[in-house]
Amino acid sequence: MSTATQTNITNAESKEWWWVAERERSPRLDYLRKAVWKKGAIGGNYAPGIKVNLERAQLFTESWKENEHDPIMLRKAKALAHYLENKTIFITDQAQLVGYVGTLPNTLEWYPEGASIVNEEVYNEQSVIPEPEKESLELIAEINDYWSGQTAIDKLGRVLDPEDIVKFMSGVIGWGSPTSAYGYSGKDYEYILTGKRGFEDILDDIDANIEAVEKETKGMPGPDILPLYDKLLNWEAMQIILDAVIDYANRYARLAKIIAENFETDPKRRKELLQIAETCERIPAQAPRNLQESFQLDLFIQVIARAEAYEGAWPGRPDYYHGPFYDKDVNIDKRLTKDEALDLVGEFMIRAHEVGMFGPRWTREGLQGITGTWVWTLGGVNQDGTDACNDLTVAFLQAARLVRVSNPTFGFRWHPEVKDEVMRECFECLRHGLGYPSMRNDPVLVENTMYWYGHPIEEARTWVHQACMSPCPTTKHGFQPMRMASATANTVKMVEYALSDGYDRVVSMQMGPKTGDPRNFKDFEELFQAWVQQMEWLMKILVRTVNLGRVKDPEFFGRPFLSAISERSVESGLDAVSPEGERGNCWVTFFTWVENADSLAAVKKLVFDEKKYTMDQLMTALEANWEGYEEMRLDFVRNAPKWGNDDDYVDEIMVRCLREVARHGKEIKCPSGNNWPALPENVSGNIHYASLVGALPNGRRLGDALYDGGISPGPGLDKKGPTAVLKSCAKIDHVKDGRAFLLNQRMSPTQLNGDKGYTMWKSYMKSWADLGLDHVQFNMVDDTTLRSAQKDPEKYQELIVRVAGYSAHFVDISRKTQDNIIQRTVVGL
Amino acid sequence: MKCIGCGVEASIKEFRYLYNPRIDASVTLRQCAKCQAWLVVDEMKNEATRIMQAGEDPWGKSAGIENVTQAT
Repeated sequence: MSTATQTNITNAESKEWWWVAERERSPRLDYLRKAVWKKGAIGGNYAPGIKVNLERAQLFTESWKENEHDPIMLRKAKALAHYLENKTIFITDQAQLVGYVGTLPNTLEWYPEGASIVNEEVYNEQSVIPEPEKESLELIAEINDYWSGQTAIDKLGRVLDPEDIVKFMSGVIGWGSPTSAYGYSGKDYEYILTGKRGFEDILDDIDANIEAVEKETKGMPGPDILPLYDKLLNWEAMQIILDAVIDYANRYARLAKIIAENFETDPKRRKELLQIAETCERIPAQAPRNLQESFQLDLFIQVIARAEAYEGAWPGRPDYYHGPFYDKDVNIDKRLTKDEALDLVGEFMIRAHEVGMFGPRWTREGLQGITGTWVWTLGGVNQDGTDACNDLTVAFLQAARLVRVSNPTFGFRWHPEVKDEVMRECFECLRHGLGYPSMRNDPVLVENTMYWYGHPIEEARTWVHQACMSPCPTTKHGFQPMRMASATANTVKMVEYALSDGYDRVVSMQMGPKTGDPRNFKDFEELFQAWVQQMEWLMKILVRTVNLGRVKDPEFFGRPFLSAISERSVESGLDAVSPEGERGNCWVTFFTWVENADSLAAVKKLVFDEKKYTMDQLMTALEANWEGYEEMRLDFVRNAPKWGNDDDYVDEIMVRCLREVARHGKEIKCPSGNNWPALPENVSGNIHYASLVGALPNGRRLGDALYDGGISPGPGLDKKGPTAVLKSCAKIDHVKDGRAFLLNQRMSPTQLNGDKGYTMWKSYMKSWADLGLDHVQFNMVDDTTLRSAQKDPEKYQELIVRVAGYSAHFVDISRKTQDNIIQRTVVGL
Repeated sequence: MKCIGCGVEASIKEFRYLYNPRIDASVTLRQCAKCQAWLVVDEMKNEATRIMQAGEDPWGKSAGIENVTQAT
């Protein structure tokens, strides 16, 4: 046996998979992986050397000032075109794909037109100010002064209800900003990524639309032609940005040629550079012909979408849309070997990983270690219901183990026809400690997508993860162009306010409705009805804000590029964000959810059923943050049923709560007139809100991390094993009770070793599928490794963990988050 | 309660509460206002038992098959 193989075996046995990956990946992937600057915040702060990009802010603002009389779409398109024409570009050595969000490899993109409060953070975040610092600060101040009062959020703030905005801005009930400046968009991939068209084809369609409409606007006057004038301007904006992106790609083509012809001495690399030039001369102007061109088109789309707005997620289905090109290049034309294709696949992941945008602090704390939730969707079915897994599905899963990025991660759409070979690849990723793919139950989620919004089955089957969890079609009327993270609720406030007459003791203000002094509650029903009122209030206030933000977005922000790559916008001449023509795909993310059921159950049992304590005693203890009441606190923790133990006492409360939410989710409507189901999950909101939520009857104190999310039991509180957890979760109807339900599970890497481990995992997955759950994701890393990483972080830089709807490098997350993950129960199969 | 780091004695409330990731245990982390040490505290006894060091696990091993949490 060679030394290298023996070393690999040793590293594998000690679960140091990052050394195995480093040895097994190609020299190109090794270089590219190591060339990336870490953009995710570490414990909320950016790494040393990371700087904010000032070019976009400066160039965008410059053009914006020059075109002040233009309507917003046109003004935006011109500003973006000016940026793309003049921004610094580079080609990473050994790269085959080009395009970067920002300018230099260590920069974060900044969007001064989005929110003044974020602009202030840029100014005050000393570590990201580029050198020379004094001049940079002067420039930032000048830019901030210009935008003050006229950012998208500033404008929205003037039309929102004042009470709503004060409560929303308190930071305790919601998360995110109600603008597409700081949101994330689905994409009409059926229009733009199926290889049928390039940007020149879209320009031809727009030309034809303009010609047809101009005949009308020059014709008989009447009310019908009045809306057409705005459409003409919108189409003009789309033309400007499409031309600008084609020119931007040509800049890369020229740069690649310059390097090849004047500087590159290696013949192999010279050939690659000329290949880049040829690719960028064609893409995105024309449709792709091969895998490199297909990836390049996708990458340009993502880069330019992020030149336009802070896209906090990356909905994608790369194996489905690029799979035909992989098949053509590797299997049919044999233009690429599998290893060469794997290099492209791995690089595509690395290009996504290197993306960085300046995020406000609440983002950095809620998404520790990453810049956005890039959850790529693999597997699933075709529109006709047949298995969509292909060779590229396998290639992505293999590449993931080689490049070991924490972002993007994968969500795998499992269905009963998935081949064992593919399931084994999924398992190997988990066994290598990546924390992904998350496993999604495709039949359940297709039915769910149809149930809540009425998407036709063929469209529902196209679904991708819009962010970490929620399915979104990729079709003309199905894709959602504006998902604002601000439809995200800190739901533990529902039970907190039910127990405080709507008063928030942490921020000292009346937030929710007055639902009664809890000391006077005579029975559980009174408490539960108070909870229902708080729940309805919380959902309403967030959805009101988001709905208004959505309909005002074309007026306050504008998305010319997103519109230009969306069929319904190219046809209609409307901003893609306009609700007109969209079926609706909204949901309210429910952070910090399970504490509601555990707390209600504890009060019901110990106060109302067993009468061991009075409400007055409980409230006194909660108001004291359990200080001096440790024995009582432990009673509420240990002797009240907890979710995840297949105990009907608390499980029925959970289901009852969810069904009230589902009922209300059908009463509140989105701008398209469709429903707002709930989706329990957390990212790292459980840490972000730890100091914003008071003591609770489940036994937590102010400051303790909340549970890790979705419908996951509290750390250490699931005492009856994994089957009990699944059975609890199965009492929820994963189609009708909500949009989707995140479940974290932690498994033993020792127990799940080798073929035997795979067999055990498959058996677990069968139970999961049979019980109709829609989601599960895994950590497979032991305590010893995690504690060693806390002690010697330098030696564990590449250790990855699944936090919640995303993965992160363990050393990049805060100590509190680390301890929270370590204390998750290790389930035995 | 007495700080093991600097010896200062004060009411337990004067020691800043940090967190407890295992709410079914009485072990918490608090911080001494004087010397900033992270202290492992037994909330039942109101007693600081040691200073928290990187990589330590005052709550014992995680619950589940790789040993149940050890009582402190």
